[in-house]
Amino acid sequence: MRTLYYLLREAWANMRTNRTTTMVAILTTAFTLACIGIFLLLYVNLRAAAGWLQDDIKIMVYLNDQTSGDALVAIEQQLRGDRAVAAMHFVSKEQALGEFKAQFPSESHLLEGLGQNPLPASFVVTLSPPFRSPDAVTRWSERVQRLSGVAKVDYNQDWIDALAMVIRSIELVAIGIGVILSAAAVTIIANTIRLTLFARRDEIAILRLIGATTGFIRIPYLLEGAVLGGLGSALSLLMLKFLYELFRQQMRTTGKLSGLDNLVAFFPLSLCLALVAVGMALGCAGSFVSLRRFDEAKT
Amino acid sequence: MIQLIHVSKHYDRRPALSNVTLEIEKGEFVLLMGPSGAGKSTLLRMLIGAERPDDGQVFVHGRNVTSLKKREIPYLRRKVGTVFQDFRLLPKKSVFENVALPLLVQGVSSGDIKRKVTEALRAVGVEHKRDQLPVGLSTGEQQRVCIARAIVNGPVVLLADEPTGNLDPELTGEIIELFKLINARGTTVVVATHDPHVMGRVNSRVVTLAQGVLVPEQRVSA
Repeated sequence: MRTLYYLLREAWANMRTNRTTTMVAILTTAFTLACIGIFLLLYVNLRAAAGWLQDDIKIMVYLNDQTSGDALVAIEQQLRGDRAVAAMHFVSKEQALGEFKAQFPSESHLLEGLGQNPLPASFVVTLSPPFRSPDAVTRWSERVQRLSGVAKVDYNQDWIDALAMVIRSIELVAIGIGVILSAAAVTIIANTIRLTLFARRDEIAILRLIGATTGFIRIPYLLEGAVLGGLGSALSLLMLKFLYELFRQQMRTTGKLSGLDNLVAFFPLSLCLALVAVGMALGCAGSFVSLRRFDEAKT
Repeated sequence: MIQLIHVSKHYDRRPALSNVTLEIEKGEFVLLMGPSGAGKSTLLRMLIGAERPDDGQVFVHGRNVTSLKKREIPYLRRKVGTVFQDFRLLPKKSVFENVALPLLVQGVSSGDIKRKVTEALRAVGVEHKRDQLPVGLSTGEQQRVCIARAIVNGPVVLLADEPTGNLDPELTGEIIELFKLINARGTTVVVATHDPHVMGRVNSRVVTLAQGVLVPEQRVSA
C-alpha cells in the first residue's frame, strides 16, 4: 500500500516538477486526439448513414404465376425462418398492379391492353446487416432462386456494390488517419516523458543501485503517460462536444440542412469512455517507448 | 561470502582489472587500497552486477553474479549495501525518506519501515535529523545518512567506494568507526579507498590494487 502510494506520489511529483511541459503535452495530445475524434465522428455518422441506405435495399423474390397457395405458404415459412431475413412482406399480383398504376399513372394504359395482369406476386425482403455484403446477397439470392415456385430473385447489384465500396473506403481512411495521428500522440507523450527521465536520471540511477526492479522504476512514468493521454483524450472530447453543439446550433439558426442536425449524432458515453481509455493506452505506449530508450531506466 | 576468480575487465583495450583472484570471508573487514584508476571502483561495481567481467567469475553470497539475468540483479543489490563518496542522496526527499527507499522498493510495510529507519538513523547518530532535507546537513551527516540507507535492510555485505573522500580526518575517523561497528554486528565490509589515513584506523585485511593487478596482501593493526 505504501509502495503504491509512493509510486502515485512520484507520478504526481513528476508532473508538478515539469508543469509547463505537462500542460503543453496535454494540450498537444488533446488537439491531436481531437483531429482523430473529428474523423471518428465523421466515420460514425457516415457509417450510420450508410446503414440507413442499406436498410433501403430491398430484394424482390418474384413468384411463378402457377405457384399454388400451399407452395406460397411453404416459401413464406422458409423465408421467415431464414436468419438472414430481417423483414419481409408479400405483394400480391393485384397489389403489384395497384402500385404500378400509382407510381406510373401515365403508363397504366399499357397494361390495360394486355387483358390480364402480367405483374407477378412477390416477397419484398430486407436482409439483416451481417448479410448485406455483395457476396452474401449474391449467395442468398442464388439459394432462394432454387426454391420451388420462385421465378426470379432481383436486386440492385450495382447499388449494393457501390455502397459496400463507400463503406470500405470510409473505414480505410478512418483507420489510416487514426494510425498516423495516434503515432503523433505517442511521440508527443514519449518526448514529455523523455524530458522527465532526463531530469530525474540521478534518482533513477540511485533507485537501481538500492535494488529497485525495472517495474518499480517504470511505474511512475507509465502512470504519468497514462494520465497525460487520459487527460488529453478527455479534453479532446470536450473540444469536440463544443464544436458539435456549435455545428448543430448553426444549422438550426441558419435553417440550412434543417433536419440533419437531429440525424448527426455525438459519440455515445461508452465510446467516450473507450476513447479516454485509448488515450491512456497511447500515453502508456509513449512512456514505454521513452523508457526503453532510456538506458538508465533499465536494470 | 565474496569470491573473484581470474577476473579481467578492459575499457577500450585499457585493462581495468587483470586476472584478479580474491576471496573475502563472511564477517571480514577488508580495505581495498590503491591509487585512482587502480580498478577499485570497477571491482566494487562488479560485486553489485553493475559491471560484467570480460573474463572470470564473481560470486557474492553464494550467487554467481556473472551469470545473473538482468531482472535478478535488483534482488542481489538488496543483499548488498552501497556507500558512495558523493553520498547520492535524493535532494528533494527528507533524511527519513532517503533511508526508507531501499525498504520501499521491497514493499516493506509502513510499520516496519518506520521501525527499521529509526534504528538505522540511531545507529549512525542522525536520528534527530530525520525530517531535514540533505541540503541542510553537513558532509559528515550526509555520509552517515548514506550509510544508514545502506544498512537499513540488513545487508550481508556493505561496500563503500571512497566513503571518506569528501571528509576531513576527524570525520573520516568517525565514519570508519561506524563501519567497524557495522562489521562487529556480522556484516562483511569492503571499503575501497586511496586515503592512507584510513589504513591506520582499522585492524583489517588490506587488499591492494595497482593498475588493475592485485599486489601481495598485508594485514594492518590499528
